[in-house]
Amino acid sequence: MSAWTEFVDYVTLADNWWGRRGIAVRIEDHVRISAFATVVAAAIAIPPALWLGHVRRGGAIAGAVVNIGRAVPSFAIVALALPISLRYGFGLGFWPTVVALVALGLPPIFTNAYAGVSGIDPAVVDAARGMGMRGPEVLWRVEVPNALPLLLAGLRISAVQIVATATLGAYVGFGGLGAFINEGFRQQDDGKLLTGAVLVAVLAIATEFLFGVGQRLLTPWTIRKGHS
Amino acid sequence: MTYRHARWLLAVLVPLALLTSACGDDDDGDAATGGGGACAEVSAPDDAPAITIGAQDFGESAILAEIYRQCLVAAGFDVTIQAVGGFRDLELAAFESGDINLAPEYAASMLEALNGQAGEATPDAVETTELLNGYLADIGLVALTPSDAVDTNALVVTEATSEELGITAISDLADHTDLVLGAPADCETNAFCLPGLQSVYDIDLSAGFIALEPAAVVPALDEEEIDIALLFSTDSRIVSNNYVLLDDDEGMLAADNVLPVLTTELAGVEGLAGLLDAISESLTTDGLTELNRRFDVDVEDADDIAASHLESAGLL
Repeated sequence: MSAWTEFVDYVTLADNWWGRRGIAVRIEDHVRISAFATVVAAAIAIPPALWLGHVRRGGAIAGAVVNIGRAVPSFAIVALALPISLRYGFGLGFWPTVVALVALGLPPIFTNAYAGVSGIDPAVVDAARGMGMRGPEVLWRVEVPNALPLLLAGLRISAVQIVATATLGAYVGFGGLGAFINEGFRQQDDGKLLTGAVLVAVLAIATEFLFGVGQRLLTPWTIRKGHS
Repeated sequence: MTYRHARWLLAVLVPLALLTSACGDDDDGDAATGGGGACAEVSAPDDAPAITIGAQDFGESAILAEIYRQCLVAAGFDVTIQAVGGFRDLELAAFESGDINLAPEYAASMLEALNGQAGEATPDAVETTELLNGYLADIGLVALTPSDAVDTNALVVTEATSEELGITAISDLADHTDLVLGAPADCETNAFCLPGLQSVYDIDLSAGFIALEPAAVVPALDEEEIDIALLFSTDSRIVSNNYVLLDDDEGMLAADNVLPVLTTELAGVEGLAGLLDAISESLTTDGLTELNRRFDVDVEDADDIAASHLESAGLL
């Protein structure tokens, strides 16, 4: 109860919103790093996933490799990436965190994109070939549109996980909402801690919601009356 | 290169190792069975309570906890070490719940933690310990005689920064408040960090402050991502990396002498306080720095470091 009061006091004080360590800047940083990591993860995972799904080969091995990102704790990746980032001049904060977030974001995107393409009824692909389509045409005009709902679901899962995990950046000097959690913990300040936790949760839910809207816009055929 | 990587791996593995060692190798006291030093000359009373030492998540705390443990095991006490994370509040909660009944502590910092960073601590160890004991008595704890080993917060810069900007003391920072200070996040509220710099020196470094995990501070300083680092004065890397320890010329820092804090019940056990006092007598700032060096740089185990310290001090 008192922690909640401290939280309300913290977020209702205008001074806590502005300035270099304010809530506004940290939300912006958090969104920026999350969006960047999601885009990079998608750029790395989608092309090979679509291709392997198209040729229906190597998916198990590639999936296993990609899943390492899920098996190694993100905190360990941040810790391992930091000295490398410092050594090669990429500095504190942003880059070591991005490495961990991309590794975390890869598996759902890859797995879903691969399953989306490789799971299409062979009869549909055969029909496309029967209509005279060649390999790339089959991929772009038949397989990708059919895989789109699953592919977008993978992106959504990754984005939400990335938003929640970007908090780790606070341990290596990246701002973001994790800084409130780190400071709240180190300074025994429950108001700060809850500020970070609640804002991250809100941001994750907002991400989920935005991707849901995007999914409806991009794949309207998946929405039928009476279904959700 | 491999050294740096090994250290990072260590940063990940040490907490794990502490956790597992706290979970149950309390019978590896074989290191304490040799010799015939002062520790073994005391024999624990039959009805002595089991002792659980709280160790915080940094090397020095682990080493000190091991030193206490091995000496007390040699005297026949039943001793285990419990990891209590990196915050004094967690340690105090562990005392309150009875999960631990002994811990290595620092006089001034513990006093300030208990009085709400009121700034009562002085550079005098005995005076500070007396004040500390006033607060500890309320929660059923007592601090014994402080050792000569002092481990305060230390502001350091690289040799290059020191020469280039002519900074050798904390007061020299007054003209360089654009410098970036890297420290754990509690620096923002710690009486011996940002608030102390503000109140004692009238220097405000908060604009460029970067909160970092303790393990990330030295690499960040070496790669010039930060200009000033907050370390502990017994950190061996201050010497080995040729950092310039900024002189506390206006006396912000207080007597952070290492001392044992324990429950009053435990303090009453015959022979125990004498052993802890003997250990405190064996500790010096330089000696502790060397023990830390073996932990941080040579990557020796805390129990080996503790055993050799006790042996060379004639305690084991």
